[in-house]
Amino acid sequence: MPAALSLQDVRVRFGDRLAVDGVSLDVRRGEIVGLLGPNGSGKSTTLAVAAGVLDPAEGVVAVEGVRRAADPAGFAARVGLVPQDCALYDELTAADNLMFFGKLYGLAGRDLRRRVVRTLSRVGMAGRAGHRVGTLSGGMKQRVNLAAALLHDPPVLLLDEPTAALDPAGRDALFADLARVRDDGHAVLLSTHRLDEAEQGCDRVAVLDRGKLAALGEPGALFRSRASDRAVLYGHLRARPPRFLVRAIRHQLGPRVELDVTGRRLRLAAESSEALGRALARVLTEGVEMDTFHTPPGTLERVLRHREAGARSGVAP
Amino acid sequence: MTRPPLSHLVLALAGKDWQLFWADRRAAVLCFVVPVVLASAFGLIFGRSTEDRAATRLPVAVVVEDDGPFTRRVADAVLASDRLEAVELTRAEAETRVADRRPGVAVVLPRGFERVKDWTPGGGGDRPPVEILHHPTTVAERQWAEGVLTETVMRGLAREKLGGLAGAGGDAFAPPFRTEAAPVTGPGRAHFNAYTHSFCGMTLQYLLFWGMESGLLFLRERQRGTWVRMRAAPVPLGAVLLGKMLATAGIALLMVLVTFGFGRVAFGVTVTGSWPGFVLLALAASGLAAATGLLVAAVGGTEARARSVSILVILGVSMVGGLWLPAFLLPGWVRDLALSLPTTWAMRGLDGVTWQGWGFAAALPSVAAVAGFAAVFLAVAVARLVAADRRGRRGGCPG
Repeated sequence: MPAALSLQDVRVRFGDRLAVDGVSLDVRRGEIVGLLGPNGSGKSTTLAVAAGVLDPAEGVVAVEGVRRAADPAGFAARVGLVPQDCALYDELTAADNLMFFGKLYGLAGRDLRRRVVRTLSRVGMAGRAGHRVGTLSGGMKQRVNLAAALLHDPPVLLLDEPTAALDPAGRDALFADLARVRDDGHAVLLSTHRLDEAEQGCDRVAVLDRGKLAALGEPGALFRSRASDRAVLYGHLRARPPRFLVRAIRHQLGPRVELDVTGRRLRLAAESSEALGRALARVLTEGVEMDTFHTPPGTLERVLRHREAGARSGVAP
Repeated sequence: MTRPPLSHLVLALAGKDWQLFWADRRAAVLCFVVPVVLASAFGLIFGRSTEDRAATRLPVAVVVEDDGPFTRRVADAVLASDRLEAVELTRAEAETRVADRRPGVAVVLPRGFERVKDWTPGGGGDRPPVEILHHPTTVAERQWAEGVLTETVMRGLAREKLGGLAGAGGDAFAPPFRTEAAPVTGPGRAHFNAYTHSFCGMTLQYLLFWGMESGLLFLRERQRGTWVRMRAAPVPLGAVLLGKMLATAGIALLMVLVTFGFGRVAFGVTVTGSWPGFVLLALAASGLAAATGLLVAAVGGTEARARSVSILVILGVSMVGGLWLPAFLLPGWVRDLALSLPTTWAMRGLDGVTWQGWGFAAALPSVAAVAGFAAVFLAVAVARLVAADRRGRRGGCPG
């Protein structure tokens, strides 16, 4: 299947710095591709180039064969963008927002009104059409935000960190919407810095590192290849532990386990999931309480299984 | 899908701004109420002062420190003057009350004033002083009091020197002429209505404030995700700017209609001159408000900085342009400087077509000047906004 969105050898410069360095990527209809990378890796810049709001210094960007340089209006009409900040007017209703953005894409009259109703229904927001956006929850806003990008039925949908302001339930709902959008035949490219989202929500993942495409593939294959990497857990502590306690726990854990505590943030790394599980149990035993913690997916489950197994056997894990 | 016609895009963008304006209804209503209230208040203050000026008597304190008969007669004449509301006080009392501006002027006839009666024309010699104590803000009142005192003293001297003339008495020493005041309001000799001036001034000032507010909204909008979405849509920047102009100018025109409509119903504010001239001036002033808004958005930098500088500039050009008070109260050099401001021309034109009875041809230079300023503001704003957009597309803002 030909690519709906094609980026070829794209380079973007901010002054002397190369923010995107030779990225080539195709996104086909009916797939969700995640741009994964830490902050500053070039995800948002790549998306901005794909959306046509930023011109690359070098390289070619095309949507269904239409290049922005050759046909800016045709290119823009084939792309739906969900920017990182909520791109809606809080003062207007959900329906009025969609009516406005629809008109920018040449939609009008009965066709526009029908699309507004249908698109809001598609994201489960038909009942809130007359509500001002400012009165909606973060999750609802993001769904209307998504609807505004889908209104003109573009083949390519671009989302910049769409889950940044959402709680876990909102994230799940958004990815369910995106899965439906993909199944309807759209090509979806989204940026995220969360490994779990990339693994669970994307069909393919492009890993960006300092503007370069470091890896590209299906998440299963990509993350299996990381099995030999160190297992890592990030936690948010209920209270900042005293330094002597951190030193004491670090001493108990030994040199093969890394324990870093900065304020109320904790990072724990070990050479395997099992070792990480044992280390976590030791930390908790010493009375360090955590509000939340997460690990890259695939690791968390193993850690939890190890703890559960240890508890059942009555042996301190 | 092809790009929609430019007119559709412009109307959609202007419609969105219109909706955003009315989304906060209370704020929208205040946009119309505030200029009406201020214009009414200014009209009330200056209207009354104009109408009552003929009957106004200047409050003055009189301090008599010489006990000579001539001095007493002068003092009594000053106290009885129908142009003064004079009261006799001691020097200490006068100094205390003048410092509080109750009244703002005191005339002191000091010891030795009696020698004035010995004055002869061309006599020269020592002239006894007369002190006029006044509050620092009452320079005009001081001159007024000085004039009345001079006349009173000269009449008293005439009576002293020529008192023996047959028939000299009563009003015999009044000036040998009488004055007739005739307010000149323009070729139509229309009746001056102070409310008309204040409604013209306050409407213009609030058009500029609305332009500023529109510019600040645009500045804010460009920091939001909606701007990114708009720039990703098949919409040229020109359409965005035209839509913004259209919405701002449309609302400004509505402000003119509402303000003058209220002025007409409540205070009889009317157009005594050319109606087409008035309409053209209203259109030009609304365009000026819209261009000012784009200029604020283009050169304002941050919202807070743009707001502070804009308020300062708008208040400055309003005052110097004669929007608050008639321009003749300003020093000559300020009036010359004011010719370089759009507010001066707009005010001159509106005053002309409303209460001065200007015809269409007389209004055209003002229309041309206001439209010219709007065109210059627009050109600068568009050039800067287009340059900023190009910079942004070339990577001026990291993503």
